[in-house]
Amino acid sequence: MGESVPELNPAGESGPPVARRRWRAGGLWTGLQVVLSASLLLLFLLPIVALFTYAPVSHIFGAASNVNVRAALWLTFLASGVAVLAAIVFGIPLGYLLARRAFPGRGVVEAFVALPVVIPHLLVGLGLFLLFIPGTPLFRFSQSIGFPVYDTIWGVVLVMVFVSAPYTVLASMLSFRAVDGRVLEAARSLGAGSAVAFLTVTFPLALRGIVAGLLLSWARAVSEIGGLLVIAYAVYPGGLYTGPVTSTISIYIYDEFQGGNLSGAAAVSSLFLLMAFALFLLVRVGERSGWLPWHRGELAP
Amino acid sequence: MTRWVVERMETALDRFQLGPVSLDLSPGSAVAVLGPSGAGKTTLLRTLAGFLHPRQGRILRDGVDISRWLPEERGLGYVPQGLGLFPQRTVARNIRYPLEIRNASDAESRTRELLERFHLSALADRYPSRLSGGEQQRVAIARALAAGPSLVVWDEPWQGLDVVARYELGQVLHDLRETDRIPMVVVTHDPSLAFSVADSFLVLHEGRVRDQCDATALLRAPSDAFAARFVGFENVYDADALRGGAPGSFRTWLRQWAGPEGIAFASPDPSAVAPGGPLWDTVVRSARPGPTGVTIESRCDELLVTLRVAPPVTPPLPAPGTRLRFSLRPESLLALGPGASRGVAI
Repeated sequence: MGESVPELNPAGESGPPVARRRWRAGGLWTGLQVVLSASLLLLFLLPIVALFTYAPVSHIFGAASNVNVRAALWLTFLASGVAVLAAIVFGIPLGYLLARRAFPGRGVVEAFVALPVVIPHLLVGLGLFLLFIPGTPLFRFSQSIGFPVYDTIWGVVLVMVFVSAPYTVLASMLSFRAVDGRVLEAARSLGAGSAVAFLTVTFPLALRGIVAGLLLSWARAVSEIGGLLVIAYAVYPGGLYTGPVTSTISIYIYDEFQGGNLSGAAAVSSLFLLMAFALFLLVRVGERSGWLPWHRGELAP
Repeated sequence: MTRWVVERMETALDRFQLGPVSLDLSPGSAVAVLGPSGAGKTTLLRTLAGFLHPRQGRILRDGVDISRWLPEERGLGYVPQGLGLFPQRTVARNIRYPLEIRNASDAESRTRELLERFHLSALADRYPSRLSGGEQQRVAIARALAAGPSLVVWDEPWQGLDVVARYELGQVLHDLRETDRIPMVVVTHDPSLAFSVADSFLVLHEGRVRDQCDATALLRAPSDAFAARFVGFENVYDADALRGGAPGSFRTWLRQWAGPEGIAFASPDPSAVAPGGPLWDTVVRSARPGPTGVTIESRCDELLVTLRVAPPVTPPLPAPGTRLRFSLRPESLLALGPGASRGVAI
């Protein structure tokens, strides 16, 4: 066995044989990748561990039974649910339009859609505040149709839609664009009108990307705080929300922190994290089990 | 049985113009559309299928002008390049699709019939991504037939298939023509399969019809360098390749017999010098044995010339750099292009 090694190093150089050196170089490269990736994963993980460490399980259970926390959670889920619904109703058609229809200024609209992602969200709140300032036509209009904005659930929804819908629009656009046009043409020539082809072919094929976009939208909506601080710091009952005066969970946690109640802030945060994890886990399980009706051909084992 | 007629159809797509194209597609007929990339083959199929509207001319289905009809109204089976199978549907659900959207009461039995006919029953629950190229092709044609088309147009059906799958698909298409009597338009780059399936040929070049004829006419008189290569000529030179050359050289000699689109000739045999023609020196680049003898690639007056030594061949094969001599009689040359004296070679 020992004699076979020099054959790998025909030049007779001193030092390790070529194969071993290559292995070492390959090992170094892999090691570097592992270290860099692990560092980032640690950065993701450690703050979460810190939250759970700071909040014992009893505190988390305590938070779950606290009426104020429940109200804040309910408001957050309700408003973010409406925001996601708005993203579905308004965002998916816009994504389809951008992906499949050619019109003048499409590039400008595409850039404009991404704008809310890059604007600091305190400015979003300020912009909406100025738009709905008492006396403006929009203020009067929103009051007259029963959708007052300041310190109401509608204000929360408005801010959430602004900051979160772009993720649905962009994800839908990319997903619709990724659907092979030839598959659609095949469907049309098989007798499907454009609406039927959309419902039976385009939409199911794009659904996976759209759902990913909706999840991102929802995550963005529930984590919003900057715009809400301006528009709806406290939310009074009215419209869809009929509970006690409260605020979204992000503001609630912020208040706890500001008030020096670190363990309370950590407990509510942990509770909220668990709920968010459960939702993401549900989607993943749905995806793996195949009951989410998308692209099963690609997922089949 | 439906008859499709295309009358002087012209299509404009951005700056590209196709046509005028005329076709008569009676039951059981099959047209192979040939041409280099960018010739307009796919544009022709997409216009027939209704995804592009003709700027001029008409498409008639049993005498009714359907030029402006939507794709779903035409009753035409369009199989695009890449087949367009639905990746999220199993084989059976792919085939059932056209029946499903029509709410056909016999969807189940019709699907089963087609699965059996195309030997897909065992694969009914698989997804297209888990099928071989040949199996995918069979699904595509079964699905197209489920819609009950009166014309099938097929873009590059043999693309990406191995030899066995190509042969099998040739049989399927042959069957389709003979049994179902559905007319077909097939875009292809594969000469042997085109000849086995089609009874007429449409050669396109930069959107224009270069040639439209039956198989024999195409073999006897290909219209240009592309068609000559397509039908199997190995020595094909367009007008550009024949430029230059000293007086009395091979190129100058060829040029005097060439047509506007160049010239073609079958591979001469250096071991059998034909009487009556001049002799040309050529230098061997490579030689390889095959079922039809030894094929020798050589260079003569800066032109690549393929020679073929008929079997039986005695070894050794000529080594690269070896000088050989071959002769060509003017009668064995085929001038290419309109107005050329054609049809002398075969």
